[in-house]
Amino acid sequence: MVYCMGIDIGSGTSKGVITKDGKLEAYILLPSGINYKVAAQKLRDELLMQAGLAIDDIASTISTGHGADIIPFNNKHVADMLCCAKGISHLFPSVRTVIDVQRQSSQVIKLDGKGLVTDFVISDMCASGSGCFLEVIANILQLELKEIGALSLKSENPVIFTTGCAVFGESEAISRVAEGISKEDILAGVHLALAGKLAALVEKVGLEKPCAISGGGGLNVGLIKKLEELGLHLLVPPQPQLVNALGASIMAEEQVTN
Amino acid sequence: MTKVVIVDQEEKICASVIKHTGAEHRRLANQVMQQALAQASLEFDEIAYVIATGYGRIMVPFADRQITELTCHTRGVFHLNPNVRLAIDIGGQDAKGLKINNGRLLNFVMSDKCAAGTGRYLETTAHTLGLRLEDLDSISLKSSNKVSISSTCTVFAQQEVISRLSEGAPLEDILAGIHDAIASRVARMVERLKVEPDVVLTGGVAKNAAVVKALEEKLGCKILVPQEPLLSGAIGAALLSKEIIQKARERCEPIRRKQRRLDEATFFK
Repeated sequence: MVYCMGIDIGSGTSKGVITKDGKLEAYILLPSGINYKVAAQKLRDELLMQAGLAIDDIASTISTGHGADIIPFNNKHVADMLCCAKGISHLFPSVRTVIDVQRQSSQVIKLDGKGLVTDFVISDMCASGSGCFLEVIANILQLELKEIGALSLKSENPVIFTTGCAVFGESEAISRVAEGISKEDILAGVHLALAGKLAALVEKVGLEKPCAISGGGGLNVGLIKKLEELGLHLLVPPQPQLVNALGASIMAEEQVTN
Repeated sequence: MTKVVIVDQEEKICASVIKHTGAEHRRLANQVMQQALAQASLEFDEIAYVIATGYGRIMVPFADRQITELTCHTRGVFHLNPNVRLAIDIGGQDAKGLKINNGRLLNFVMSDKCAAGTGRYLETTAHTLGLRLEDLDSISLKSSNKVSISSTCTVFAQQEVISRLSEGAPLEDILAGIHDAIASRVARMVERLKVEPDVVLTGGVAKNAAVVKALEEKLGCKILVPQEPLLSGAIGAALLSKEIIQKARERCEPIRRKQRRLDEATFFK
Protein backbone atom coordinates (compact mmCIF):
# COMPACT_ATOMS: atom_id res chain seq x y z
CA MET A 1 0.00 0.00 0.00
CA VAL A 2 2.16 2.82 -1.25
CA TYR A 3 1.56 6.16 -2.82
CA CYS A 4 3.37 7.00 -6.04
CA MET A 5 3.57 10.15 -8.10
CA GLY A 6 3.60 10.75 -11.85
CA ILE A 7 4.57 14.12 -13.25
CA ASP A 8 4.22 15.16 -16.89
CA ILE A 9 5.75 18.52 -17.75
CA GLY A 10 4.33 19.41 -21.15
CA SER A 11 5.26 22.44 -23.23
CA GLY A 12 1.86 23.95 -22.47
CA THR A 13 0.36 22.23 -19.45
CA SER A 14 1.99 20.37 -16.56
CA LYS A 15 0.09 17.44 -15.15
CA GLY A 16 0.59 15.54 -11.91
CA VAL A 17 -1.15 12.55 -10.32
CA ILE A 18 -0.82 10.53 -7.13
CA THR A 19 -1.94 6.92 -7.29
CA LYS A 20 -2.29 4.10 -4.81
CA ASP A 21 -2.88 0.51 -5.93
CA GLY A 22 -3.54 1.72 -9.42
CA LYS A 23 -6.23 4.14 -8.27
CA LEU A 24 -6.13 7.88 -8.78
CA GLU A 25 -5.86 9.64 -5.40
CA ALA A 26 -5.20 13.20 -6.54
CA TYR A 27 -4.45 15.05 -9.75
CA ILE A 28 -3.63 18.54 -10.84
CA LEU A 29 -3.13 20.51 -14.07
CA LEU A 30 -1.16 23.76 -14.22
CA PRO A 31 0.20 25.91 -17.04
CA SER A 32 3.91 25.13 -17.55
CA GLY A 33 4.94 28.71 -18.19
CA ILE A 34 8.49 29.53 -19.21
CA ASN A 35 10.30 27.96 -16.27
CA TYR A 36 9.74 24.20 -16.08
CA LYS A 37 11.61 23.92 -12.79
CA VAL A 38 9.24 26.32 -11.07
CA ALA A 39 6.26 24.58 -12.68
CA ALA A 40 7.38 21.15 -11.46
CA GLN A 41 7.99 22.35 -7.91
CA LYS A 42 4.61 24.07 -7.73
CA LEU A 43 2.90 21.05 -9.23
CA ARG A 44 4.34 18.71 -6.62
CA ASP A 45 3.56 21.01 -3.70
CA GLU A 46 -0.06 21.54 -4.71
CA LEU A 47 -0.53 17.88 -5.50
CA LEU A 48 0.69 16.81 -2.05
CA MET A 49 -1.51 19.42 -0.42
CA GLN A 50 -4.55 18.17 -2.32
CA ALA A 51 -3.87 14.57 -1.33
CA GLY A 52 -3.10 15.57 2.26
CA LEU A 53 0.27 13.82 2.08
CA ALA A 54 3.85 14.74 2.90
CA ILE A 55 6.71 14.15 0.52
CA ASP A 56 7.93 11.20 2.60
CA ASP A 57 4.64 9.41 1.95
CA ILE A 58 5.48 9.15 -1.75
CA ALA A 59 7.43 5.95 -2.37
CA SER A 60 8.54 6.85 -5.86
CA THR A 61 8.12 9.59 -8.47
CA ILE A 62 8.46 9.22 -12.22
CA SER A 63 8.51 12.23 -14.50
CA THR A 64 7.92 12.49 -18.21
CA GLY A 65 7.22 15.06 -20.92
CA HIS A 66 9.00 17.94 -22.60
CA GLY A 67 10.53 19.42 -19.45
CA ALA A 68 11.04 16.25 -17.43
CA ASP A 69 14.84 16.26 -17.59
CA ILE A 70 15.22 19.46 -15.59
CA ILE A 71 12.94 18.69 -12.65
CA PRO A 72 14.69 19.87 -9.49
CA PHE A 73 13.69 17.05 -7.11
CA ASN A 74 14.34 13.34 -6.84
CA ASN A 75 12.62 11.33 -9.53
CA LYS A 76 13.13 8.99 -12.43
CA HIS A 77 12.69 10.15 -15.99
CA VAL A 78 10.83 7.95 -18.47
CA ALA A 79 10.06 8.70 -22.14
CA ASP A 80 6.51 9.95 -22.67
CA MET A 81 5.82 7.27 -25.25
CA LEU A 82 6.24 4.56 -22.59
CA CYS A 83 4.18 6.48 -20.06
CA CYS A 84 1.42 6.99 -22.58
CA ALA A 85 1.38 3.28 -23.40
CA LYS A 86 1.25 2.41 -19.72
CA GLY A 87 -1.43 4.95 -18.92
CA ILE A 88 -3.77 4.06 -21.76
CA SER A 89 -3.39 0.30 -21.13
CA HIS A 90 -4.32 0.95 -17.52
CA LEU A 91 -7.50 2.73 -18.56
CA PHE A 92 -8.37 0.59 -21.60
CA PRO A 93 -6.53 -2.75 -21.35
CA SER A 94 -7.65 -3.88 -24.79
CA VAL A 95 -6.35 -0.85 -26.72
CA ARG A 96 -4.00 -1.68 -29.63
CA THR A 97 -3.40 1.80 -31.08
CA VAL A 98 -3.22 5.14 -29.31
CA ILE A 99 -3.01 8.59 -30.87
CA ASP A 100 -1.34 10.98 -28.45
CA VAL A 101 -1.93 14.59 -29.52
CA GLN A 102 0.19 16.99 -27.51
CA ARG A 103 0.90 20.65 -27.96
CA GLN A 104 4.36 20.33 -29.54
CA SER A 105 4.22 16.84 -30.97
CA SER A 106 2.00 13.92 -31.81
CA GLN A 107 2.71 10.24 -31.63
CA VAL A 108 0.94 7.07 -32.59
CA ILE A 109 1.81 4.03 -30.48
CA LYS A 110 0.95 0.41 -31.22
CA LEU A 111 0.42 -1.96 -28.32
CA ASP A 112 0.27 -5.72 -28.13
CA GLY A 113 -2.86 -5.73 -25.95
CA LYS A 114 -0.80 -6.52 -22.84
CA GLY A 115 0.65 -3.04 -22.41
CA LEU A 116 3.83 -3.60 -24.41
CA VAL A 117 4.79 -1.20 -27.19
CA THR A 118 5.25 -2.92 -30.55
CA ASP A 119 5.68 0.09 -32.82
CA PHE A 120 5.43 3.86 -32.77
CA VAL A 121 5.82 6.96 -34.91
CA ILE A 122 6.43 10.49 -33.67
CA SER A 123 5.76 13.77 -35.44
CA ASP A 124 7.66 16.56 -33.71
CA MET A 125 9.32 18.48 -36.52
CA CYS A 126 6.35 20.48 -37.64
CA ALA A 127 3.69 22.44 -35.76
CA SER A 128 0.98 21.50 -38.24
CA GLY A 129 1.06 17.93 -36.92
CA SER A 130 0.36 18.90 -33.32
CA GLY A 131 -2.05 20.83 -31.14
CA CYS A 132 0.02 23.93 -31.83
CA PHE A 133 -1.68 24.29 -35.23
CA LEU A 134 -5.07 24.58 -33.52
CA GLU A 135 -3.62 27.11 -31.09
CA VAL A 136 -2.25 29.27 -33.92
CA ILE A 137 -5.60 29.38 -35.70
CA ALA A 138 -7.58 29.90 -32.47
CA ASN A 139 -5.33 32.90 -31.80
CA ILE A 140 -6.05 34.44 -35.19
CA LEU A 141 -9.79 34.03 -34.64
CA GLN A 142 -9.44 35.33 -31.07
CA LEU A 143 -11.02 32.22 -29.61
CA GLU A 144 -10.15 30.04 -26.65
CA LEU A 145 -8.55 26.70 -27.43
CA LYS A 146 -11.23 24.91 -25.45
CA GLU A 147 -14.15 26.31 -27.47
CA ILE A 148 -12.90 25.78 -31.03
CA GLY A 149 -13.66 22.05 -31.23
CA ALA A 150 -17.36 22.48 -30.55
CA LEU A 151 -17.57 25.54 -32.84
CA SER A 152 -16.01 23.61 -35.71
CA LEU A 153 -18.84 21.08 -35.53
CA LYS A 154 -21.28 23.73 -36.74
CA SER A 155 -19.57 23.96 -40.12
CA GLU A 156 -20.86 22.21 -43.21
CA ASN A 157 -18.23 23.54 -45.54
CA PRO A 158 -14.69 23.22 -44.16
CA VAL A 159 -12.02 25.48 -45.62
CA ILE A 160 -9.19 23.56 -47.26
CA PHE A 161 -5.72 24.50 -45.98
CA THR A 162 -3.37 24.09 -48.90
CA THR A 163 0.20 24.07 -47.58
CA GLY A 164 0.41 21.90 -44.47
CA CYS A 165 2.40 24.59 -42.63
CA ALA A 166 1.02 26.23 -39.50
CA VAL A 167 2.62 29.58 -40.33
CA PHE A 168 1.25 29.65 -43.86
CA GLY A 169 -2.00 28.28 -42.45
CA GLU A 170 -2.16 31.37 -40.27
CA SER A 171 -2.00 33.63 -43.34
CA GLU A 172 -4.51 31.46 -45.14
CA ALA A 173 -6.89 31.83 -42.19
CA ILE A 174 -6.44 35.61 -42.25
CA SER A 175 -7.20 35.65 -45.99
CA ARG A 176 -10.33 33.55 -45.44
CA VAL A 177 -11.50 35.92 -42.69
CA ALA A 178 -10.97 38.83 -45.09
CA GLU A 179 -13.06 37.02 -47.70
CA GLY A 180 -15.88 36.74 -45.21
CA ILE A 181 -15.69 32.98 -44.57
CA SER A 182 -17.15 32.00 -41.20
CA LYS A 183 -15.02 31.13 -38.19
CA GLU A 184 -16.74 27.76 -38.04
CA ASP A 185 -15.67 26.85 -41.58
CA ILE A 186 -12.09 27.93 -40.94
CA LEU A 187 -12.01 25.93 -37.70
CA ALA A 188 -13.47 22.86 -39.37
CA GLY A 189 -10.70 23.23 -41.96
CA VAL A 190 -7.88 23.31 -39.44
CA HIS A 191 -9.31 20.35 -37.53
CA LEU A 192 -9.57 18.45 -40.80
CA ALA A 193 -5.96 19.33 -41.69
CA LEU A 194 -4.66 18.10 -38.32
CA ALA A 195 -6.85 14.98 -38.44
CA GLY A 196 -5.41 14.24 -41.90
CA LYS A 197 -1.85 14.45 -40.58
CA LEU A 198 -2.71 12.19 -37.63
CA ALA A 199 -4.45 9.67 -39.87
CA ALA A 200 -1.31 9.58 -42.03
CA LEU A 201 0.74 8.80 -38.92
CA VAL A 202 -1.68 6.00 -38.02
CA GLU A 203 -1.35 4.63 -41.52
CA LYS A 204 2.45 4.51 -41.13
CA VAL A 205 2.24 2.03 -38.27
CA GLY A 206 -1.00 0.38 -39.41
CA LEU A 207 -4.28 0.70 -37.54
CA GLU A 208 -5.29 -2.02 -35.13
CA LYS A 209 -8.50 -1.67 -33.19
CA PRO A 210 -9.50 -0.61 -30.65
CA CYS A 211 -7.93 2.79 -31.02
CA ALA A 212 -7.78 5.49 -28.33
CA ILE A 213 -6.79 9.13 -28.16
CA SER A 214 -4.81 10.83 -25.40
CA GLY A 215 -3.22 14.19 -24.70
CA GLY A 216 -4.84 17.61 -24.98
CA GLY A 217 -6.18 16.67 -28.42
CA GLY A 218 -8.51 14.22 -26.69
CA LEU A 219 -10.41 17.15 -25.18
CA ASN A 220 -11.31 18.45 -28.62
CA VAL A 221 -14.63 17.14 -29.94
CA GLY A 222 -14.00 18.72 -33.34
CA LEU A 223 -10.77 16.79 -33.80
CA ILE A 224 -12.34 13.53 -32.60
CA LYS A 225 -15.22 14.03 -35.06
CA LYS A 226 -12.88 14.63 -37.97
CA LEU A 227 -10.77 11.58 -37.05
CA GLU A 228 -13.98 9.56 -36.95
CA GLU A 229 -14.87 10.79 -40.45
CA LEU A 230 -11.49 9.46 -41.53
CA GLY A 231 -12.39 6.04 -40.17
CA LEU A 232 -10.74 6.26 -36.78
CA HIS A 233 -13.26 5.44 -34.08
CA LEU A 234 -11.75 6.42 -30.80
CA LEU A 235 -11.95 5.51 -27.17
CA VAL A 236 -11.63 8.75 -25.21
CA PRO A 237 -10.42 8.71 -21.61
CA PRO A 238 -12.37 10.93 -19.19
CA GLN A 239 -9.27 13.08 -18.71
CA PRO A 240 -7.09 12.56 -21.77
CA GLN A 241 -4.45 15.07 -20.65
CA LEU A 242 -3.66 12.98 -17.57
CA VAL A 243 -2.88 9.72 -19.38
CA ASN A 244 0.90 10.14 -19.46
CA ALA A 245 1.16 11.29 -15.83
CA LEU A 246 -1.05 8.39 -14.82
CA GLY A 247 1.16 6.00 -16.77
CA ALA A 248 4.23 7.43 -15.03
CA SER A 249 2.68 6.92 -11.61
CA ILE A 250 1.56 3.36 -12.41
CA MET A 251 5.06 2.62 -13.62
CA ALA A 252 6.47 4.00 -10.36
CA GLU A 253 4.11 1.70 -8.40
CA GLU A 254 5.24 -1.32 -10.39
CA GLN A 255 8.88 -0.51 -9.73
CA VAL A 256 8.27 -0.11 -6.00
CA THR A 257 6.34 -3.39 -5.61
CA ASN A 258 8.75 -5.44 -7.73
CA MET B 1 4.57 42.54 -52.13
CA THR B 2 3.08 43.75 -55.37
CA LYS B 3 5.61 45.15 -57.82
CA VAL B 4 5.04 47.00 -61.08
CA VAL B 5 7.79 47.72 -63.61
CA ILE B 6 7.33 49.66 -66.83
CA VAL B 7 10.04 49.46 -69.52
CA ASP B 8 10.38 51.31 -72.82
CA GLN B 9 11.47 49.96 -76.21
CA GLU B 10 15.14 50.30 -75.26
CA GLU B 11 14.60 48.13 -72.17
CA LYS B 12 15.08 51.14 -69.95
CA ILE B 13 13.06 51.05 -66.74
CA CYS B 14 10.68 54.05 -66.73
CA ALA B 15 8.92 53.24 -63.48
CA SER B 16 9.07 50.74 -60.63
CA VAL B 17 6.79 50.56 -57.62
CA ILE B 18 6.80 48.08 -54.70
CA LYS B 19 3.80 47.93 -52.35
CA HIS B 20 2.52 45.59 -49.67
CA THR B 21 0.03 43.06 -50.98
CA GLY B 22 -1.72 42.05 -47.75
CA ALA B 23 -4.94 40.09 -47.41
CA GLU B 24 -7.35 42.88 -48.36
CA HIS B 25 -5.18 44.60 -50.91
CA ARG B 26 -4.25 41.69 -53.10
CA ARG B 27 -7.09 42.46 -55.48
CA LEU B 28 -5.94 46.06 -55.72
CA ALA B 29 -3.04 45.60 -58.13
CA ASN B 30 -4.70 48.35 -60.18
CA GLN B 31 -3.75 50.90 -57.51
CA VAL B 32 -0.08 49.91 -57.67
CA MET B 33 -0.28 50.12 -61.46
CA GLN B 34 -1.70 53.63 -61.23
CA GLN B 35 1.23 54.72 -59.08
CA ALA B 36 3.68 53.31 -61.61
CA LEU B 37 1.85 55.11 -64.43
CA ALA B 38 2.03 58.37 -62.51
CA GLN B 39 5.75 57.84 -61.93
CA ALA B 40 6.35 57.35 -65.65
CA SER B 41 3.82 60.10 -66.61
CA LEU B 42 1.94 57.68 -68.80
CA GLU B 43 -1.71 56.79 -69.41
CA PHE B 44 -2.74 53.16 -69.09
CA ASP B 45 -3.64 53.03 -72.80
CA GLU B 46 -0.07 53.90 -73.68
CA ILE B 47 1.15 50.61 -72.20
CA ALA B 48 1.48 48.26 -75.17
CA TYR B 49 1.31 44.98 -73.26
CA VAL B 50 0.87 43.87 -69.65
CA ILE B 51 2.13 40.57 -68.24
CA ALA B 52 1.21 39.50 -64.72
CA THR B 53 3.30 36.99 -62.79
CA GLY B 54 3.72 35.62 -59.27
CA TYR B 55 1.30 33.96 -56.87
CA GLY B 56 -1.44 36.49 -57.48
CA ARG B 57 -1.08 36.72 -61.24
CA ILE B 58 -4.70 35.70 -61.78
CA MET B 59 -5.79 38.61 -59.59
CA VAL B 60 -4.72 41.09 -62.24
CA PRO B 61 -7.76 41.55 -64.49
CA PHE B 62 -6.05 44.19 -66.61
CA ALA B 63 -3.17 41.96 -67.71
CA ASP B 64 -2.99 40.77 -71.32
CA ARG B 65 -1.32 37.57 -70.28
CA GLN B 66 -0.22 35.59 -67.24
CA ILE B 67 3.23 33.98 -67.20
CA THR B 68 4.69 31.90 -64.37
CA GLU B 69 7.21 33.47 -62.06
CA LEU B 70 9.87 30.93 -63.06
CA THR B 71 9.93 32.25 -66.62
CA CYS B 72 9.75 35.88 -65.55
CA HIS B 73 12.44 35.49 -62.90
CA THR B 74 14.77 33.77 -65.32
CA ARG B 75 14.30 36.61 -67.82
CA GLY B 76 14.71 39.30 -65.17
CA VAL B 77 17.80 37.85 -63.52
CA PHE B 78 19.44 37.15 -66.88
CA HIS B 79 18.87 40.79 -67.82
CA LEU B 80 20.52 41.95 -64.60
CA ASN B 81 23.44 39.52 -64.88
CA PRO B 82 23.98 37.61 -68.16
CA ASN B 83 26.51 35.31 -66.45
CA VAL B 84 23.99 33.94 -63.97
CA ARG B 85 24.05 30.14 -63.58
CA LEU B 86 22.08 29.82 -60.39
CA ALA B 87 19.37 32.20 -59.27
CA ILE B 88 18.04 31.84 -55.75
CA ASP B 89 14.85 33.66 -54.92
CA ILE B 90 13.70 33.81 -51.31
CA GLY B 91 10.37 35.51 -50.86
CA GLY B 92 7.93 35.76 -48.02
CA GLN B 93 6.00 32.75 -49.21
CA ASP B 94 8.50 30.40 -50.84
CA ALA B 95 12.11 29.79 -51.85
CA LYS B 96 13.24 28.77 -55.31
CA GLY B 97 16.44 27.79 -57.00
CA LEU B 98 16.72 28.27 -60.78
CA LYS B 99 19.47 26.70 -62.84
CA ILE B 100 20.07 29.01 -65.79
CA ASN B 101 22.38 28.85 -68.78
CA ASN B 102 22.50 31.65 -71.35
CA GLY B 103 19.16 32.89 -70.16
CA ARG B 104 17.48 29.51 -70.46
CA LEU B 105 15.91 27.79 -67.50
CA LEU B 106 17.42 24.29 -67.26
CA ASN B 107 16.03 23.09 -63.95
CA PHE B 108 14.52 24.38 -60.74
CA VAL B 109 13.76 23.46 -57.15
CA MET B 110 11.13 25.03 -55.00
CA SER B 111 9.88 24.93 -51.44
CA ASP B 112 6.48 26.45 -50.72
CA LYS B 113 4.90 23.99 -48.29
CA CYS B 114 6.77 25.08 -45.20
CA ALA B 115 7.57 28.52 -43.84
CA ALA B 116 11.05 27.49 -42.66
CA GLY B 117 13.54 28.54 -45.31
CA THR B 118 11.39 31.44 -46.51
CA GLY B 119 11.27 35.11 -45.57
CA ARG B 120 8.34 34.28 -43.37
CA TYR B 121 10.74 32.61 -40.95
CA LEU B 122 12.54 35.93 -40.47
CA GLU B 123 9.32 37.95 -40.30
CA THR B 124 7.99 35.67 -37.57
CA THR B 125 11.25 35.92 -35.64
CA ALA B 126 11.27 39.72 -35.90
CA HIS B 127 7.72 39.72 -34.56
CA THR B 128 8.62 37.38 -31.68
CA LEU B 129 11.54 39.57 -30.66
CA GLY B 130 9.73 42.85 -31.22
CA LEU B 131 12.31 43.96 -33.76
CA ARG B 132 11.99 45.47 -37.22
CA LEU B 133 12.65 43.01 -40.03
CA GLU B 134 15.26 45.31 -41.56
CA ASP B 135 17.25 45.43 -38.31
CA LEU B 136 17.73 41.67 -37.92
CA ASP B 137 20.83 41.33 -40.07
CA SER B 138 22.90 44.11 -38.53
CA ILE B 139 22.27 42.78 -35.01
CA SER B 140 23.04 39.23 -36.08
CA LEU B 141 26.33 40.17 -37.75
CA LYS B 142 27.68 41.33 -34.35
CA SER B 143 27.62 37.76 -33.05
CA SER B 144 30.71 35.63 -32.77
CA ASN B 145 29.07 32.69 -31.02
CA LYS B 146 25.84 31.65 -32.65
CA VAL B 147 23.18 29.73 -30.75
CA SER B 148 22.14 26.58 -32.54
CA ILE B 149 18.40 26.46 -33.30
CA SER B 150 17.36 22.82 -33.36
CA SER B 151 13.73 23.09 -34.52
CA THR B 152 13.04 23.15 -38.23
CA CYS B 153 9.48 24.38 -37.80
CA THR B 154 9.02 28.16 -37.68
CA VAL B 155 6.51 27.89 -34.85
CA PHE B 156 8.76 25.70 -32.71
CA ALA B 157 11.79 27.85 -33.52
CA GLN B 158 9.98 30.83 -31.98
CA GLN B 159 9.49 28.89 -28.76
CA GLU B 160 13.17 27.98 -28.86
CA VAL B 161 14.08 31.64 -29.34
CA ILE B 162 12.09 32.58 -26.26
CA SER B 163 13.63 29.74 -24.22
CA ARG B 164 17.15 30.77 -25.23
CA LEU B 165 16.38 34.40 -24.38
CA SER B 166 15.06 33.46 -20.94
CA GLU B 167 18.23 31.43 -20.37
CA GLY B 168 20.20 34.60 -21.00
CA ALA B 169 21.64 34.01 -24.46
CA PRO B 170 22.56 37.32 -26.16
CA LEU B 171 20.13 38.54 -28.82
CA GLU B 172 22.78 38.69 -31.54
CA ASP B 173 23.79 35.06 -30.94
CA ILE B 174 20.19 33.89 -31.19
CA LEU B 175 19.67 35.88 -34.38
CA ALA B 176 22.88 34.46 -35.83
CA GLY B 177 21.41 31.00 -35.17
CA ILE B 178 18.18 31.96 -36.91
CA HIS B 179 20.01 33.29 -39.97
CA ASP B 180 22.19 30.20 -40.04
CA ALA B 181 19.08 28.00 -39.93
CA ILE B 182 17.37 29.68 -42.88
CA ALA B 183 20.60 29.69 -44.90
CA SER B 184 21.14 25.97 -44.20
CA ARG B 185 17.68 25.13 -45.35
CA VAL B 186 17.98 27.10 -48.57
CA ALA B 187 21.50 25.77 -49.23
CA ARG B 188 20.33 22.17 -48.81
CA MET B 189 17.58 22.83 -51.34
CA VAL B 190 19.67 24.53 -54.04
CA GLU B 191 22.57 22.08 -53.69
CA ARG B 192 20.36 19.63 -55.54
CA LEU B 193 20.99 21.80 -58.62
CA LYS B 194 24.82 21.72 -58.44
CA VAL B 195 25.90 25.21 -57.52
CA GLU B 196 27.95 27.14 -60.11
CA PRO B 197 28.86 30.82 -60.22
CA ASP B 198 27.53 33.34 -60.87
CA VAL B 199 25.01 32.87 -58.09
CA VAL B 200 22.41 35.64 -57.85
CA LEU B 201 20.12 36.05 -54.87
CA THR B 202 16.80 37.86 -55.27
CA GLY B 203 13.58 38.29 -53.33
CA GLY B 204 13.05 40.25 -50.13
CA VAL B 205 15.43 38.08 -48.12
CA ALA B 206 18.31 39.13 -50.41
CA LYS B 207 18.18 42.46 -48.59
CA ASN B 208 19.32 40.68 -45.44
CA ALA B 209 23.13 40.83 -45.30
CA ALA B 210 23.35 38.11 -42.62
CA VAL B 211 21.53 35.60 -44.84
CA VAL B 212 23.76 36.54 -47.79
CA LYS B 213 26.88 35.99 -45.65
CA ALA B 214 25.68 32.69 -44.18
CA LEU B 215 24.64 31.44 -47.60
CA GLU B 216 28.01 32.40 -49.09
CA GLU B 217 29.73 30.33 -46.38
CA LYS B 218 27.46 27.34 -46.96
CA LEU B 219 27.65 27.37 -50.75
CA GLY B 220 31.32 28.31 -50.80
CA CYS B 221 30.99 31.04 -53.39
CA LYS B 222 30.24 34.73 -53.78
CA ILE B 223 26.60 35.69 -53.97
CA LEU B 224 25.54 38.65 -56.08
CA VAL B 225 22.54 40.71 -55.08
CA PRO B 226 20.85 43.11 -57.53
CA GLN B 227 20.37 46.70 -56.45
CA GLU B 228 16.63 46.14 -56.00
CA PRO B 229 16.28 42.37 -55.43
CA LEU B 230 12.49 42.49 -55.23
CA LEU B 231 12.02 43.58 -58.81
CA SER B 232 13.61 40.81 -60.87
CA GLY B 233 10.32 39.00 -61.56
CA ALA B 234 8.52 42.18 -62.56
CA ILE B 235 11.48 43.29 -64.71
CA GLY B 236 11.37 39.91 -66.42
CA ALA B 237 7.63 40.26 -67.04
CA ALA B 238 8.12 43.75 -68.48
CA LEU B 239 10.92 42.56 -70.78
CA LEU B 240 8.85 39.59 -71.96
CA SER B 241 6.02 42.04 -72.74
CA LYS B 242 8.39 44.15 -74.76
CA GLU B 243 9.60 41.09 -76.68
CA ILE B 244 6.06 40.00 -77.51
CA ILE B 245 5.29 43.44 -78.93
CA GLN B 246 8.58 43.57 -80.82
CA LYS B 247 8.03 40.16 -82.40
CA ALA B 248 4.48 41.00 -83.40
CA ARG B 249 5.62 44.24 -85.03
CA GLU B 250 8.48 42.54 -86.89
CA ARG B 251 6.09 39.97 -88.29
CA CYS B 252 3.40 42.59 -88.85
CA GLU B 253 1.00 40.46 -86.80
CA PRO B 254 -1.79 42.01 -84.76
CA ILE B 255 -1.08 42.25 -81.03
CA ARG B 256 -3.46 39.97 -79.18
CA ARG B 257 -4.57 42.08 -76.29
CA LYS B 258 -7.40 41.64 -73.87
CA GLN B 259 -10.30 43.98 -73.50
CA ARG B 260 -8.90 45.52 -70.41
CA ARG B 261 -9.72 48.18 -67.91
CA LEU B 262 -7.64 49.22 -65.00
CA ASP B 263 -10.01 47.70 -62.44
CA GLU B 264 -9.62 45.82 -59.22
CA ALA B 265 -10.10 42.07 -59.15
CA THR B 266 -13.69 41.08 -58.40
CA PHE B 267 -13.36 37.38 -57.64
CA PHE B 268 -14.54 37.76 -54.08
CA LYS B 269 -17.68 39.71 -54.76
